[in-house]
Amino acid sequence: MKKNLFNVLTLLVLASVLLTACGGAAPATQAPAEKQKVTIFVGFGTGTDPDQVAAQEELAKKFNASHDNIEMEFLIVPNEEATERFLAMVSGDNAPQLVGPHGTSTIARFKEYWEDVTPYIERDNYDMSDFYGPATTINKYPDLDAGLPLGLYPSFLFYNKDAFDAAGLDYPTHDYADTSWNIDALKEMAIQLTLDTNDNTPADPDFDSSSIKQWGYADTWTDMRGQLTMFGAPDVGRPTTDDYKTATFNAPERVLGFQWLHDGIWKDHFIPDANGQAAIDSTGADPFGSGQIAIWYSHTWFMSEGLNELPFAFDIAPLFYNQDGERIARVHADLFTIPKDAKNKDAAWEVMKWLVAPEQIVEVCQIYGCLPARKSSEDAYRAFLQERYPTIDHAVIFEAINYLDNPHHEGWVPEWGKANDTLNNVMSILYSDPEADVPAVMDQGNEDLQKILDEYWAAQ
Amino acid sequence: MTFPSLQKMSLARREALAGYAFIVPWIIGFLVFTIGPMLASLYFSFTKYNIVDPPQWVGLANYERAFSGIWDAIRTGDPRQFQDPLFWKALQVTIYYASIALPLNIAFSFLLAVMLNQKMRGINIWRTIYFLPSIIAGVAVTILWVRILNPRVGVLNPFLKDVLGIQNPPGWLSDPEWAIPALVIMSLWSVGGSMIIYLAGLQGVPTDLYDAAKVDGANAWQRFWNVTFPMMTPVLFYNLVLGMVATFQYFTQVYVATSNSIGGLGGPQHSTLFYNIYLYQNAFRYFDMGYASTLAWILFVIILILTALIFRSSDAWVYYEGQLRGRV
Repeated sequence: MKKNLFNVLTLLVLASVLLTACGGAAPATQAPAEKQKVTIFVGFGTGTDPDQVAAQEELAKKFNASHDNIEMEFLIVPNEEATERFLAMVSGDNAPQLVGPHGTSTIARFKEYWEDVTPYIERDNYDMSDFYGPATTINKYPDLDAGLPLGLYPSFLFYNKDAFDAAGLDYPTHDYADTSWNIDALKEMAIQLTLDTNDNTPADPDFDSSSIKQWGYADTWTDMRGQLTMFGAPDVGRPTTDDYKTATFNAPERVLGFQWLHDGIWKDHFIPDANGQAAIDSTGADPFGSGQIAIWYSHTWFMSEGLNELPFAFDIAPLFYNQDGERIARVHADLFTIPKDAKNKDAAWEVMKWLVAPEQIVEVCQIYGCLPARKSSEDAYRAFLQERYPTIDHAVIFEAINYLDNPHHEGWVPEWGKANDTLNNVMSILYSDPEADVPAVMDQGNEDLQKILDEYWAAQ
Repeated sequence: MTFPSLQKMSLARREALAGYAFIVPWIIGFLVFTIGPMLASLYFSFTKYNIVDPPQWVGLANYERAFSGIWDAIRTGDPRQFQDPLFWKALQVTIYYASIALPLNIAFSFLLAVMLNQKMRGINIWRTIYFLPSIIAGVAVTILWVRILNPRVGVLNPFLKDVLGIQNPPGWLSDPEWAIPALVIMSLWSVGGSMIIYLAGLQGVPTDLYDAAKVDGANAWQRFWNVTFPMMTPVLFYNLVLGMVATFQYFTQVYVATSNSIGGLGGPQHSTLFYNIYLYQNAFRYFDMGYASTLAWILFVIILILTALIFRSSDAWVYYEGQLRGRV
């Protein structure tokens, strides 16, 4: 009896397995085609603030309402977890379809991870003429065009007008043609804006550098390459020759720049040292918002997070000219990229096109704080700026694009992470060692970088 | 429903089967989530692997990269002769930290336990006070200490300056010379866990031993040294092994304290480049999973050797009550 029951059960199981297997091959009724999912991984750059999250969800709704075949969704990951999460997704054969918006550094860091979109651009004969020139070149390499440009983040000086008024100083010029606005003028101005707790400036004999409450100038939200770019070395933001085989970190212009910064920190005290920066960080505010930095050098992305409800008046001004009478104002350029290992790449390309299309690009850039990469969107973006930041000089933002850094300060070099960590270790000497022998430090940094390059090329 | 085959089994066999059934989930978890990744990382340690592309077998190249140049470096005294100087720097930083933090932590927690083992009013309140910091998450404690140690706005330097009269107090985490001592001070904040274990051990020391020592005329120090300390050596041994493993795997605090600092993770000037930080950088910043796996296995072997040495030395200094030694 038990044996019969067992046989019956076995037959039932086999039959159900066979029926299930055959069912898949049978012609189905006319079901609607399944939507291809495009997950946009947000976390390497901007896009994780609550306001941005809500705006991105609205954007996804808008896209999904107008597309039958593709479903767009945002995956928001905290910045500090982004690398691990992304790598886990890639290694688990679950790469997101799009990553972004993110900038040159992430594209360079993960360079071999991205799909080259050149074949898509050629297939669709995609019109690139509406994009600002720099936006199309910054994230383009001989073997990789990382994506369609979304936005630019030009850089300029944010200044605290109240600090200037209190010091009795004129505001920095807004005239890009005024060549008297140079590193010497900035230094002189910044010294007068630096105050200890007794309101003495570094020019006063009683100045106490251990109790500074306001520094004149800072450019500390970038790395070593970024901070030295403005000094105009032949390779500008790239610390190697154009074949990436020889380190040029100790180019005379960079050594001069490093010395200028070192003197500004330790001799003239108008730039915060490591302790000063940690003290500012501990206030919980950004350096400019803390009210402890009178002139702050940053990018348009800083506006969306740093210009909200400030307790002082502020405006923006062009970056100063360097020691050679050249102005090199860093620029960041964001886009969305398609990971090589992603599924539904064609759908991802369609979403990428939609995000940067003239109809959306201003709205998307408003979420992320970038200047739309399309020239045709300039008026719409000016209107947005006028509404959102009515008190600042918007002309400063647009003209800054003409002075960008090329080669770029975040661009690819061999062993990008290791090379930048090596140079950032040099930066830690800048901010923590008052006695540093600047040329020797730069030579050592160059030697270390050269070793990385040599090992890289030897392994190719 | 009955299981006749089970009924036929002996009680011992059934109990064994039940035991296995209970531990199967753990065994599966251990095989899948510990042994599996360990074996995978052992394989990766012989490959070049960046996650996107399939691993490429490179034999011992990763191990060679870590160790080559060692003789030249020793001969010339120049650490730059190492093929990977940062590997040795990371090892040096870790050993430096371990050599200060481990003895201090053991001594401090043991001392606290001895003090909190006294019979006095309100002793439970004191025990709670000293234990509490150890239950706060490492990240929160680190953020707190980064603030305390900040030379401009922290509370420690004004204390050193105004109360103790130290005119130029250290820059702590922003000073390469003082970054490790700063982390050691931070580590002392969380000794409550080992302190509780010592306290439990102290309360297990038989009182008749103290009574006998008193009868023999031993003073307080002699009672401590000849009774308390030997009886506590198994607990000290336990904490030493666990502490050594933990210090060699030190990561979270230094990651939180330095990831946003100037010069980045392991700064300033590589002064806090702990072994695990360097391993993390290789894995998740340089995407060199092969070399990161090699570093993990080297660390495993180092810890294994040190643990074996501690175990071997324990015959000489750890006292187990009732244990017979030597020839009978």
